[in-house]
Amino acid sequence: MTFRIRLLLIFTMAVVASVGVVEWSVSNKTREQFELLEAQRVDVLVRQFRSEYDRRKQEIVLAVKRIADSRLASDIAASSQPEEYYQEAERLASTNGLDCLELVAEDGSIVSSAEWPARFSYKEEWLTPAKDWKAMGAFLKPEELQDGFTLSLLAVDTASAEDHKLYVVGGQQLNRDFLSTLVPPEGMRVLLYRNLDPFYSPSRLIPVSGTGQRSGEMQALIERVLHDKRPMIQTVGQGEDAETFHVLPLPGYEGNVLGVLLIGSSRRDLVRLEATVRRVGILVAAGGILLGLALSWWATIRVTRPVMRLAESAAKVAAGNWGTTVETTSSDEIGQLAHAFNRMTHELVEQRDRLVQAERVAAWRELARRLAHELKNPLFPLQITVENMQRARDNYPDQFDEVFRESTQTLLAELSNLKQIIGRFSDFAKMPAPEMQTVNCNELAEATLKLFEPQLAKSGVEAKSELDPRLRAVQADPEQLTRVLRNLVLNAIDAMPNGGTLTIRTVALAGGVRLEVSDTGQGLTPEECERLFTPYYTTKTHGTGLGLAIVQSVVSDHKGRIAVESQPGKGSTFRIEL
Amino acid sequence: MRHTPLRCPVAKSLAGRDPQTAFTDKPLAVRCAALAVTLAFVSFSATRPHYGGVLRVEMREAIESAEPPQTGSLAALTAGFTISQWEGGRRAIYSADPAAAGGRPFLDSVEVQMGRPLHDQSIALNLGKADLVEFDASDAQRAGSPHKVWSSSPVRVLLLLFGPRVEDTHVREALALAVDRTSIHNVMLQRQGEISGALLPQWISGEAFLFPATTDVPKARSMTAALPPAARTFTLGVADPANRRIADRIALNARDAGLTISPPPPGAPGDVRLLEVRIRSADPATALAQLCSALGLAAPPRMDSPEALYAAERALLENYRVIPLFHLPVVYGVNPRVKGAPGITPLGEWRFENLWVEAARP
Repeated sequence: MTFRIRLLLIFTMAVVASVGVVEWSVSNKTREQFELLEAQRVDVLVRQFRSEYDRRKQEIVLAVKRIADSRLASDIAASSQPEEYYQEAERLASTNGLDCLELVAEDGSIVSSAEWPARFSYKEEWLTPAKDWKAMGAFLKPEELQDGFTLSLLAVDTASAEDHKLYVVGGQQLNRDFLSTLVPPEGMRVLLYRNLDPFYSPSRLIPVSGTGQRSGEMQALIERVLHDKRPMIQTVGQGEDAETFHVLPLPGYEGNVLGVLLIGSSRRDLVRLEATVRRVGILVAAGGILLGLALSWWATIRVTRPVMRLAESAAKVAAGNWGTTVETTSSDEIGQLAHAFNRMTHELVEQRDRLVQAERVAAWRELARRLAHELKNPLFPLQITVENMQRARDNYPDQFDEVFRESTQTLLAELSNLKQIIGRFSDFAKMPAPEMQTVNCNELAEATLKLFEPQLAKSGVEAKSELDPRLRAVQADPEQLTRVLRNLVLNAIDAMPNGGTLTIRTVALAGGVRLEVSDTGQGLTPEECERLFTPYYTTKTHGTGLGLAIVQSVVSDHKGRIAVESQPGKGSTFRIEL
Repeated sequence: MRHTPLRCPVAKSLAGRDPQTAFTDKPLAVRCAALAVTLAFVSFSATRPHYGGVLRVEMREAIESAEPPQTGSLAALTAGFTISQWEGGRRAIYSADPAAAGGRPFLDSVEVQMGRPLHDQSIALNLGKADLVEFDASDAQRAGSPHKVWSSSPVRVLLLLFGPRVEDTHVREALALAVDRTSIHNVMLQRQGEISGALLPQWISGEAFLFPATTDVPKARSMTAALPPAARTFTLGVADPANRRIADRIALNARDAGLTISPPPPGAPGDVRLLEVRIRSADPATALAQLCSALGLAAPPRMDSPEALYAAERALLENYRVIPLFHLPVVYGVNPRVKGAPGITPLGEWRFENLWVEAARP
């Protein structure tokens, strides 16, 4: 991925992230405001309900009291034939605005019932235990009607006459009409669940306002409130159909929850608002992205063009053209970078020149030191031999001939040694260009091992060859390659003074061959591995330190690579790939 | 008219007896003179019949026939009146027949409004728009009512008639045992009529007391306990809406016995029906035959003796297809301005020939 594309992506992501954050903030704030508004609306509705509920309770209490205080109630209480009054409850209920009214004798038998006239003389057992009914006010109670149970808000009062008592039980059904004054605002609805059955019954859930839906979904909600006997808030449904319900338990006169008021608030408006915000956000983001792309394209071109020039120049420097410079057109950070680059390349060139000069001097010094060292060794025996000859001619003339003969042999040997040293230096200095021809590396390896068989035997080194029969012939200078192998074999023998195993291995590669020479000698440290191919560097007590330098030079001339792999104590492996 | 409270007890008493007259607290002499005049007038006008006037009658039944009926109350009018206008289902006007066998009736005419609900009739009577209306039990017993009440002997038989769907005799018997006739009689019927387990009333057959009408809920419950719910569930239809509450009470009683009774679907008669059948003959054999005919029962065999009558009635009731409940009188509320002997016979038939109406006071 180019810097330009990366920069574009960063710009785009920045725009998207900014729009996302703004949209999230707006959505969050919108939701908070909506929920605050909803809470206020629900609070108003709940207060309205409570007020209406209390007002109705008060009305019922007053109506029942009015009936109980009436002359008629006293007459009925005192009457020895209360059956004459069995239709009075209907009339009284009608005139006092009550849905249900029962006139009950002292023993609990119904004298007259408005809601179920045929139920006269049946007993209302719950009334007879002594209770302060007036203090209780109005309360919720299930009321049995001809067609089933209903939930009523009842009040009880008593009328007394001639030591007789008459219970007046009146009230209103808690139904849709009861709460008809509860008009919720748009988007809200009120439902009432009448807990009249042992188990949840959908038919008991009546919509006071709005329409009744999702009865099944609300079952768990209602059952939970019935169990916990506490108000709760819960959202049911998904998406636009989601609805938040504020649920209020309505306790009965025995403390059990007989009714549940559900105030539902649709989340449709919020969802739509959020969708609108999201849509606008997406449009803004899309616009921002397009604008951001255009701007960032322009900006990245301005930014990346000098950077690309710098990159091209750096590539040229990497390729060896150290004198490369970058044109500077601005004085900003990129311009400063270009200036710094130019300064760097200038410094590089200067340092390279100084380094070459220094290396040259160092090479000459090293060469001089080596020459001095190498030449000094044979010169000392020469000097001793000549001095022996002089001393023998002066002091022992009779033995001079013998000494002369021996000395000349020594001199010749040392001169030969000197000649050999000079030859090696000469060889390194005039390394010829390789003369390429088709070479079978397996044959070269076998020939080299055969050449060194006596020496290997003498050193106690076992020679092994693992030659890949699939090896293809390569273009190489056979003499130089033989020289490489010999040097490596000699090094391996030197590395195993106490014997070991020398292995020559060939491997066919996809585009060439690999030659490996391994020993089981003392191995090399990492530092030694790094400096191993440096001319005149040696780890041995003898040698010129040119052997591996020559090897590297030959491999390099063949466009190949050489590497060494070694661990102290575990031997070394020289790997050549051609 | 604005009335001021009366302090004089005599004036108060008179005002209570005759609300149409405006009595005042005047000086004693004046008052005594006025009282004497008033009493003389009331006494004179209450005792002396006179010709003229229209008797306004209202009834629930709406006779839809194109021609005036030949039986029933309206037919009985023809003893002294002739039909002068007939609007089937709505109205009928009978004019006095000068050639009637017993002489011309006092009334000029009788105007009958048909299809009037009981409640509307009661209102019409209270407002003075009707002179004679049908009363239900509560109207008849209402304390302090200024109206007169004419009541016949018990000639209306209120009974339950099972249809073919309820096949199990135990279910039918259980219902017969479950119905608390006493409570219904005491409360809903305000003790009017008689509780009975017989088809014919006691005053006609003299044997009604032999048919049990007792309530035995535990026995009824034990009879239904082993039955499947479907067999214990049926519908109860009511022919006359005025008897709706009695049907409700019967359903409530039935519930105590383990029976489930509900109203029938609209238009359906019901598995069992609460019916009222009118007895139109004081002869027991004829009355029983008429009842069987009205109920769609097989005609009873010849009944020449009381034993045969009893056996025939017993045979009709033994399978509990018919459960007699009450024998009720026909009751009318009559405007006080209607004078003369009660205008109905023991069988509840109209006899208006000897009635007259007081003219409205100036």
